[in-house]
Amino acid sequence: MDNSKKKLSLGQKQSLAGWAFLTPAVLIIAIMSFLPMIQALFLSFKTGAGANLKWTGTTNYVRMFQDPVFMQALKNNFIYLIIQVPIMLILALILASLLNNKDLRFKGLFRTAIFLPCATSLVSYAVIFRSLFAVDGLVNTVLIKLGFLSTGYNFLGHPNSARIVIILALIWRWTGYNMVFYLSGLQNIEYSIYESAKIDGASPIQSFWGITVPLLKPTILLTAIMSTNGTLQLFDESVNLTYGGPSNATITMSHYIYNVSFKYVPNFGYAAAMSYLILFLVAVLAFLQMKVGDKRD
Amino acid sequence: MKKKIVSLLLAGAMVASLTACGNSGSGGQASGGGKDGGAKGGNELTVWCWDPAFNIYAMNEAAKVYQKDHPDFKLNVVETPWADIQTKLTTAATSNKLDTLPDIVLLQDNAFQKNVLTYPDAFKDITGSGIDFTQFAKAKTAYSVVNGKNYGVPFDNGAVIAGYRTDVLEQAGFKADDFKDITWSKYQQMGEEILAKTGKPLLSCQAGESDLIMMMLQSAGGSLFDKDGKPSMVGNDKLKKVMETYASLVKSGVLIEVNDWDQYVGTLTNSTVGGTINGCWIMASIQTAEDQSGKWAITNMPKLEGVEGATNYSNNGGSSWAITSACKNSDLAYDFMAKTFAGSTSFYETILPKSGALSTFLPAAKSKVYAEPQKFFGDAPVYSTITDFASKIPSNNTGVYYYEARDAVATAITNVVAGADIDAEIKTAEDTVNFAMGK
Amino acid sequence: MTKGKKFLAYGFLTVVSILSVFPLYWMMVAATNKSVAVSRGTLMFGTELFNNIKKLFASQNVVGALGNSFKYSIVMTLVSLFICSIAGYGFEIFHDKAKDRVMSIILLAMMVPFAAIMIPLYQMFSKANLLNSTLGFILPSISTPFLIMMFRQSARSFPVDIMEAARLDGLNEFQIFCLMFVPTMRSTYAAALTITFMNAWNSYLWPKVIMSDASSITMPMMVANLKSGYVTDYGTLMLAVLLCTIPTVVVFFLLQKSFAEGITGAVK
Repeated sequence: MDNSKKKLSLGQKQSLAGWAFLTPAVLIIAIMSFLPMIQALFLSFKTGAGANLKWTGTTNYVRMFQDPVFMQALKNNFIYLIIQVPIMLILALILASLLNNKDLRFKGLFRTAIFLPCATSLVSYAVIFRSLFAVDGLVNTVLIKLGFLSTGYNFLGHPNSARIVIILALIWRWTGYNMVFYLSGLQNIEYSIYESAKIDGASPIQSFWGITVPLLKPTILLTAIMSTNGTLQLFDESVNLTYGGPSNATITMSHYIYNVSFKYVPNFGYAAAMSYLILFLVAVLAFLQMKVGDKRD
Repeated sequence: MKKKIVSLLLAGAMVASLTACGNSGSGGQASGGGKDGGAKGGNELTVWCWDPAFNIYAMNEAAKVYQKDHPDFKLNVVETPWADIQTKLTTAATSNKLDTLPDIVLLQDNAFQKNVLTYPDAFKDITGSGIDFTQFAKAKTAYSVVNGKNYGVPFDNGAVIAGYRTDVLEQAGFKADDFKDITWSKYQQMGEEILAKTGKPLLSCQAGESDLIMMMLQSAGGSLFDKDGKPSMVGNDKLKKVMETYASLVKSGVLIEVNDWDQYVGTLTNSTVGGTINGCWIMASIQTAEDQSGKWAITNMPKLEGVEGATNYSNNGGSSWAITSACKNSDLAYDFMAKTFAGSTSFYETILPKSGALSTFLPAAKSKVYAEPQKFFGDAPVYSTITDFASKIPSNNTGVYYYEARDAVATAITNVVAGADIDAEIKTAEDTVNFAMGK
Repeated sequence: MTKGKKFLAYGFLTVVSILSVFPLYWMMVAATNKSVAVSRGTLMFGTELFNNIKKLFASQNVVGALGNSFKYSIVMTLVSLFICSIAGYGFEIFHDKAKDRVMSIILLAMMVPFAAIMIPLYQMFSKANLLNSTLGFILPSISTPFLIMMFRQSARSFPVDIMEAARLDGLNEFQIFCLMFVPTMRSTYAAALTITFMNAWNSYLWPKVIMSDASSITMPMMVANLKSGYVTDYGTLMLAVLLCTIPTVVVFFLLQKSFAEGITGAVK
């Protein structure tokens, strides 16, 4: 035994060290997430109200595609994902590279200010957004003064404008959060690269696309997966900002799952099945993003 | 220097994380045992409820009343918002861990039947507990009666009031009395006149919520479900009349829809509107605008026209106490309830002035405290008026799928206001509820 | 930068900053006003701050909530940073096919809405007698795929050649992690600490479900309590919200320099 241990090559030894390092984390995730997820998977093949559940096969999975509210929610989630995530990530990247500039002053102030929204409690932010976009709110007042509108428009009362408010709210809240990752990622890029690019006559926009974006790729991948996941599981904004309305035009899948679990007569089998659809969608998208962005070169 | 602090912080983080791991582990075991859930035996009861100025205050006062004869009695109130009570109840019942529940829990009346029917093992049937349910308004006890058995001790009153700003009415040449015992068309007609003369709508409500719809429907004795618990929306003349009335009010400008609760309260305190219609508990919010003191008058709500059984009385909100199966000392819990919430007029007299908690305990209505004039409401004895309203409310059949139905109706009315066809929307709403019920 | 471009940059940043700070300003204003003034939409500071403080402290266990929130958040952040950073390091530095595959699998763990796994998790915790305990509070969120991935991505820029040198000097793998990786990755740690602290501080649903003692109240629970009644006192509510926001902002402010400035070249 002793002999064979000594015979471990350096590579094997390191591989073992790697396994030892990641075991605690993986073990906890297995117990805290995968075990309940497997139970939820079984649950998704059962149906019934509350605690009285019966096996039902794939009924729940068929059911969700016949459920107009869930289909509406699925559509809403994709609208948010396609419009909001790219805008937010690009804006965060721009802000991060602006704030990475050595010549700029008051950087700490700007950074803290831009980070603030994601630390701001949901309670106050929902109240403020709703009052800003109210019929007699600030946004309408400004638009009327500028002559774009003649009377106040009920932004939260119409499907498309309510969705736009949600998208604006999401961008407002999470851009600073994503900026933090980019700022920390930018520390690994030598500032001299930018300086020599400048000497070579590259414009700031050229060095942004030519240097920042490629070198930040690992971080961009991280934030892209996070944001995709966060948007497909979106809950807070739908619940607190628009209450899913008007007439379910802004409701998200997670909001509906919560309603089915806790507001309505609980149907955990159905809720679990819908959750697995979210899992499937996020997993496919994350897989695609990893394929594109996770090459070590 | 700053950098040093940061690196110290981070280094400290690494070290502390190792030790903290051990500490939290032992800490967890120390406090993990048996502390959860209802107090086991003894003289203690644990209660979950949510409003320090209202039901928590009432519970604590009830404990004081009971302690006079039972000095050893202890009451442990855990402040838990309603949404969290529902989540915890669902979680505990679905996990078959009912022993984690407290002895007594406050339930919204709208959710009462749903919870008792979905989790029959979670609550105690208190029909034969010695509590006299005949002392309460009938429409109120109906919320907590399931299959003929009592599961709840009624608490606060949700009787609907119509409040009017007398100063606004005056500007248009009206008095609050003109709004007593009227119909909705008369209401709209006077409302339009007031709108023309003062620029103020008479009524505001929250868009996407069905509170006002449900108040109107219940005032005519209508429900969204029939006696067997099946949805009865299509062909429900009362519902159709309600939706027509609502849409016409919005169209005329007499009713304005706002997007959330805070804005709704704002329309009252900002004097944006000339009145409101809601459960009587709204009076507490109205009274936060101290400068409006003496300018409000309370009367009953308008009734539907051309509908059988229409009245000027309805209900919105309210809650009742349930005793859970986790309660090991049910005799104590029954006795406590019977001697306070279901038996003591003087208890209700104590809590009224400070909390405005109007009871549905009928003997309390005859008390002097209830008959006292209220300065804010033009020196009228509004509390006894409202308790009188409460005794005239038709019952509402909530059933198990009440929340699904309310949301479906809210969706329907949003679309109707936007111009959709009423019959088609009612059909869609009924389909939605049927879909939810077809598990 | 030319003057024009600089002006543009400052202008843009200022606009974004004002938009971002406005709700905080509104919160501060609200905390100094009476409830009715808040619902009337005032934007001027009022004189009710002391009354609101008095009311808040009279109705809620503010000290207890602050204490609990700090206790849970600090423990959760520290444990979580350690477990996840060492795992992320392990995944990247010693990466091979098997580990990459494990990484993709654990990513799945963050893709299911929490509402779906809450019931099974609750059953598990009540069987293990972890209800109403600190451990029960923190356990589900101390190892997150997100943090692991964050450390894995940033370990990609960790210079491998200095590891070889360290090994020749006789350091074992754990020592290399503690002595070489942790100091180099200060910017990542600082960013991770900020984010994790914020998530821990704001966590609500799970703590609410498993804690049922009045004494285990946290700041977000306190805020929720304040808006659950028939009447909301907006002045007091916003004061509580403000108290709930400040710690995260302070943590960010203290740590921002280390993830945004002047760390490069610390090791090289």
